Amino acid sequence: MRGPLKLEVWKMGFVNYLDALKLQEKLVSDRKLCRIPDTLLSLQHPPTYTLGKRRTDHNLLIPASELKNIGAELHYTQRGGDITFHGPHQAILYPIISLREIGLGARNYVEKLESTMIELSSLYGVKACAGQKGETGVWVGERKIGAIGVRISHGITSHGLAFNIDPDLKYFKHIVPCGITDKEVTSLRRETSTVLPSEEAIHEQLISCFSRLFGYNTVVWKENPSILSDHEEIA
Amino acid sequence: MASTMLWASRAASYLRISVFHRGFSTVLKDLKYADSHEWVKVNGNSATIGITDHAQDHLGDVVYVELPEVGTAVKQGDSFGAVESVKATSDVNSPVSGKVVEVNEELSSSPALVNSSPYEGGWIIKVEMNDAGELKNLMDSEKYSKFCEEEDSKH
Repeated sequence: MRGPLKLEVWKMGFVNYLDALKLQEKLVSDRKLCRIPDTLLSLQHPPTYTLGKRRTDHNLLIPASELKNIGAELHYTQRGGDITFHGPHQAILYPIISLREIGLGARNYVEKLESTMIELSSLYGVKACAGQKGETGVWVGERKIGAIGVRISHGITSHGLAFNIDPDLKYFKHIVPCGITDKEVTSLRRETSTVLPSEEAIHEQLISCFSRLFGYNTVVWKENPSILSDHEEIA
Repeated sequence: MASTMLWASRAASYLRISVFHRGFSTVLKDLKYADSHEWVKVNGNSATIGITDHAQDHLGDVVYVELPEVGTAVKQGDSFGAVESVKATSDVNSPVSGKVVEVNEELSSSPALVNSSPYEGGWIIKVEMNDAGELKNLMDSEKYSKFCEEEDSKH
């Protein structure tokens, strides 16, 4: 079996989408050169719609010009998956990890991301499950509670998962979420009768589920994570 | 079961492929392999490139293949395109350096060929190599099979 596995967690609070994207690109490059260990970004975004590599913008149901009016941005990315929405009260994890070092392929990696969200849901008595074939993600019945969109470059992951704690679900009405027409989007708030603790506590539980499922035996929390890396200087 | 295995072994030796009875992925004897799980078939200066059976199995159902333009320069070990499966886009790297002379347009309408026929119908690009010496950096079928076994035993 492999040796000890270390995960460095960055709790970042609210991060603008493009800033997070630039940071991930830098971290992927650093990870590839083994300058950093496996790293996990935990954050939230302001209202943002994103598209994947296939650029399925026919699934955006309002003109892009109207997005400003609803206080949202739109970004095109290189991740897999269709269109989705990110916003406040949605917990996001972006793992920047080496799949080659742990011997995982894309399919197994994504399954573990699904399991992370399924396990978190179960902490609140919510019975979630992985999607049917071709519908990657986490579902409660016919309602989607968690989405996944990943990029793998030279065996290093970026982008990741988005779990709906209590986002404003109205934002999802402006898209065909993940390109699936006849299914609803839901949230932990909607699906559980348990009183929810603070969001910070839920984020920590999500991180804990992730690190357990991926077999990390050492988890360190980065002090004062910022968008600027240690290598950059403020002029 | 025994007769199926016998047929498989006979078919395997006719087709010159290695069949591992423990259900491992297929590895073809005459190809060269990169550690990022791409294969290359060399014919003079021409190289046909795709991803291996091991790769397609670990990816899941491929729903989209991003192909480079004909004429693009490729470098050994660098990405030239990507495949999407299970909401994950995975870069595909070139095992050789050279120029893209042909891409498999079929993959635009039938990306699943990468899964069903990774070494034949699922080929991705053809490259005119500019340095055949680079082939020594790649693995032969035996080395690649061992490499896959080692990778799969990690978790």
